[in-house]
Amino acid sequence: MEPIIVVEDLQVAYGDKVVLDGINLSVEPGEVFVILGGSGSGKTTLLRNLVGLMRPQAGRILIDGRDFTSMSAAERMDIRRTMGMCFQGSALLGSLSVADNVALPLREHTKLEESTIDIMTRIKLELVGLGGFEDYLPSELSGGMRKRAGIARAMAMDPKVIFYDEPSAGLDPIVAAGLDELIRTMQSTFNLTSVVVTHEMESVRIIADRVCVLHQGRVAGIGSLDELERSDHQYIQQFFARRPDDPGTADADYARSLTNID
Amino acid sequence: MIDLVGRVGRWVLERFKEVLQVSVLMVDTVVWLVVAPLTGKGFRWRSSIRNFVEFGVRSLPIVGMISFLIGVIIALQASYTLDQWGANRYIADLVAVSALRELAPLMTAILIAGRCGSAITAEIGTMKVNEEIDALEVMGVNPIKYLVAPKFLAMVTAVPAVTALAMLIMIFGGWASAVFVVGVETEIYVTQTIGAIVEKDLLTGMIKSLFFGIAICWVGVYRGFQVEGGAEGVGRQTTASVVTAIFLIIIVDLIFTVLFYYV
Ligand SMILES: Nc1ncnc2c1ncn2[C@@H]1O[C@H](COP(=O)(O)OP(=O)(O)O)[C@@H](O)[C@H]1O
Ligand SMILES: [Mg+2]
Repeated sequence: MEPIIVVEDLQVAYGDKVVLDGINLSVEPGEVFVILGGSGSGKTTLLRNLVGLMRPQAGRILIDGRDFTSMSAAERMDIRRTMGMCFQGSALLGSLSVADNVALPLREHTKLEESTIDIMTRIKLELVGLGGFEDYLPSELSGGMRKRAGIARAMAMDPKVIFYDEPSAGLDPIVAAGLDELIRTMQSTFNLTSVVVTHEMESVRIIADRVCVLHQGRVAGIGSLDELERSDHQYIQQFFARRPDDPGTADADYARSLTNID
Repeated sequence: MIDLVGRVGRWVLERFKEVLQVSVLMVDTVVWLVVAPLTGKGFRWRSSIRNFVEFGVRSLPIVGMISFLIGVIIALQASYTLDQWGANRYIADLVAVSALRELAPLMTAILIAGRCGSAITAEIGTMKVNEEIDALEVMGVNPIKYLVAPKFLAMVTAVPAVTALAMLIMIFGGWASAVFVVGVETEIYVTQTIGAIVEKDLLTGMIKSLFFGIAICWVGVYRGFQVEGGAEGVGRQTTASVVTAIFLIIIVDLIFTVLFYYV
């Protein structure tokens, strides 16, 4: 099958600080593809490039075989409607109710009747287990519920691909497990291609079909969990075994060079 | 010395870049203001009306009170000089002209900049920090169209509307102190005021206030989009927003005053 997302030699920098350097990967339709890496390894940056919030310095991103990086703004808008994104902080509009948040893309992009939008919103909220919370403001929800509402909003336009940025970060283990389950359910119910950024091994073991490990702005390895566990890449072994860094190693230096802390 | 030249050069370049960015923002906003209503349900009228209530109606109490007091003050100050010539009846002329041409538009703009310009910066800045702006963009919703255009329309209508009321109230304040403190007769005060006001004064004030509204909105929005790095960044830009807006209001005021002086 044709991959739905192809990334070729992607290079991204903030100013002259190169954060991603020569990323190559591809995502198959219908799989849960996990991007794994430590804090500051450039996971969010990669995701922002995949959804077109940033332009790379070099390289290409193909979505459904079309070059996402060099297309016109109108074409990019078209492609974006086939994508949903769940932000790390859920990024619900604070001034709108949960239902209005989910309805927003429908109101902006479709000519559906208000009553139809209402029903569709309810269905999406039921789907993520938030039935009955339509009229709540985001600030009245718990962290886990906000994440779920974010997923409902990302699902509003029935996307072909959904991106999650650290879905379980900052949540307690039980709520986090619930979200992992939801990600899996979404994938199996809608055959939804899912790209999940995370640094939590527990999550990865539950949701991942394939994993891509990011390290120092490069891909340290891609494959199924089994394949990676057998990898002899030092960083991957260390990450999977949760072993701490030795201070003074190249890794600690690299982190310092990125964050400018001395 | 070279260091100084370099620094000044960089400062000028920075400002130039800012002006460029604001210009892009302006063009975008106006385009959306014109284009969005044509494309059917594009323009968010309800949001704009809500903003108008916030910027205009809710500013009335404070603007009204300050305008009244300033009216009282100008009348008393005017009397200080005019009394020597037995010309207290001209208090009315002075109050009317300064209220219409200068003080009502200026005070209204400064108060609304403090109340609402900063609030716009805080709102947009917080949305940026919370990735809400990014979320809009990923959903294919243009943030300028969704957030800025309604605020812009509300601001450029609210500021002149409030200014018009402030003019009235300021003249009323002048009347109050002229009549009850200085001892001018109401009839004389009213005749003098009507005689003093010419259409051009009113027009001058209203045109100024329109441009004040534009300045407040764009500074607020621009500073909001400039927010970087968390709540601290929001605070920094909010403060900067008020200072920039007031500075710009004075500059706009100066330009128009000079312009109307010759026209
Ligand atoms: N807006 C930005 N400007 C400058 N540097 C940034 C910016 N965003 C992220 N970075 C830097 O890029 C690196 C990768 O960041 P990010 O993609 O957020 O990592 P992750 O999501 O894996 O924690 C970090 O070192 C971070 O400091
Ligand atoms: Mg991140």
